[in-house]
Amino acid sequence: MTLLLENVSLQIDRNPILEQISFRLPVGQVLVVLGKSGAGKSKLLEVIAGLLRNQSGRIVFGGRDLSALSPQEREIGFVFQDYALFPHMTAEENILFGLQARQAPIREQTKWLNAVAVELKIDHLLKRFPAELSGGQQQRVALARCMVLRPEVLLLDEPLSALDAASRERLALLMKKIQKKYRVTMLYVTHDHNEARFMGDQVLVVDQGRVVQMGSPEEIFACPVSRFVAHFTATRNILPGRIRERCGEGQALVEVVGTQLVSTSFPAQGEDVWVCIRPENFSFVEASSVAPPQQMSDKISGKIPGETTSENIISGYRISQIISQSGVTVLVELLNRGARLMVFVAHREIEQRGLLVNKEVELAVPANHVHCLPRQPEDIYCRPE
Amino acid sequence: MTIIVLGAGLFFGSPFAALLHSFAGADGFVALLNRQVLVVVGTSLLTAILATALAAVVGTVLGYHFTYRKKTGGRWLKTFFSLPLVLPPSAAGYMLLLAFGRYGLIGAPLYQTFSLQIMFTTTALVLAQFFVITPLMMQAASSAFQQVPESLVKASHSLGADEYTTFVKVLLPLSRPVLVAGVITAFARAIGEFGATMMVAGRLKTIPIMIYVKAMGGDAGVADGLSLLLVLLSFMVLLLVNFLGEKRR
Repeated sequence: MTLLLENVSLQIDRNPILEQISFRLPVGQVLVVLGKSGAGKSKLLEVIAGLLRNQSGRIVFGGRDLSALSPQEREIGFVFQDYALFPHMTAEENILFGLQARQAPIREQTKWLNAVAVELKIDHLLKRFPAELSGGQQQRVALARCMVLRPEVLLLDEPLSALDAASRERLALLMKKIQKKYRVTMLYVTHDHNEARFMGDQVLVVDQGRVVQMGSPEEIFACPVSRFVAHFTATRNILPGRIRERCGEGQALVEVVGTQLVSTSFPAQGEDVWVCIRPENFSFVEASSVAPPQQMSDKISGKIPGETTSENIISGYRISQIISQSGVTVLVELLNRGARLMVFVAHREIEQRGLLVNKEVELAVPANHVHCLPRQPEDIYCRPE
Repeated sequence: MTIIVLGAGLFFGSPFAALLHSFAGADGFVALLNRQVLVVVGTSLLTAILATALAAVVGTVLGYHFTYRKKTGGRWLKTFFSLPLVLPPSAAGYMLLLAFGRYGLIGAPLYQTFSLQIMFTTTALVLAQFFVITPLMMQAASSAFQQVPESLVKASHSLGADEYTTFVKVLLPLSRPVLVAGVITAFARAIGEFGATMMVAGRLKTIPIMIYVKAMGGDAGVADGLSLLLVLLSFMVLLLVNFLGEKRR
């Protein structure tokens, strides 16, 4: 059983909104649709739900072609970005709306209502109107309104975007739990890469109405296929480099920011590349002043940059800024050679290593985390922003 | 600025002042208490209520159609349905005569096959008022439906509700205040309709026609009383519509 899209295209007023979207998602999995606003993510959900009609292509779920069916016949759940709760109905009336539209027996209505309300912890809110509920509570009612219908496919359009950080985490966990429990096939639209990594079994990156890349979160985050995907998945270090040598054994020597690194992920042809290193994949090795801890010196001993080893050492960096951000500290490193690297470290490590602004450090990065993308020679100096 | 405001106040106030002055000089509403006038008031109320009821249904459906199913028809058709709003009422009445008169495009076959005469009957009054107020109702309904967020309609469809259920359970309740305001305005317009009604009335009279006839005939008492009645009615309607508007906010 799969959800299958085949060359789905959508035009609105002759403007192409979606172009040739194809993917296959096994039943019970979560596909995160990741892209900028205006990329066509929401429209993709509306096409799948039947709220918009695609001009060409097929949508098939479990062998059944949905393309010609009305939204009512498709029986796909949809949670809207603004929740779209009916303001003139109580939470309970909202939740029962779909069951009543299907003329479900009263006993069944009550049964499902109670089950879902308890599960989503909204049983004490049922008599309230949407205006009397917080954002997180509204979102849970909206989710309950879909879940009482036991949909096999659930579409969520940026469900957490309007919430504060705390409710966001709670709801994300709750949604994941419910998704697992009912094995509902889920499409989850977001522009947040953290949500994508947390929620997704698969990630579909969309740009300007086209699929740019699809894969597991690990694949997308470790091996983006283009600078757009790299940038959008928060690969904060995207630097122009040149491949010096392909050494066989799946390794290449790449020159970047005045030093040479070993990479295990690089294009088969062409010298000019973008070198992508995620900020969380660095670790610190002090260059001077403080003696490195024993275990660290053991780890790097005998590993010289450029050799076919797995660890790269980048030296000659000075800490230029330490920015604290909710537990994780973001450290921007400025090189005397004019390049900047962004490194994420735990707050604890900063204290343990006595990392200070202006202090020189060495950075270590494993070769499998140095990812090279083909680059046109002319776009060398435009920095991604 | 102040001068313009004052001048406008003077100009717009003077007819009302004159009406009150003339009314106070006569024997008040007593002049209205005769059979002829009461029949006219009754005719006016009956036709206006019927026309409003018809327009409320048809106007709401048209408003819905042009808001949610634009594809069939579109802008041109909506403009066409709005025409009676700006058409001179006498022209509208004349066109109705041409269509539904005994020798008219539709009237002639109706008369020949069923001996049915529409013109110069109460039905004609209702039709004339309906013709003039339906666009008003359509526009009110259109703006009422446009205020309902699109996602609510989409949510309703995705929850399995068909178009009719969505209309009845989501759209109508959410746009009720605006629709009610539209109905009240349409009723006021219907009861005050003169030009089109006059053209198709024959010997029948509504309040505005009666005012015209009495004013021209020099019977100030009845004209004063009826005019004041309509002024009061209009005033109350505006108050009610404003009240509904505020309640919605």
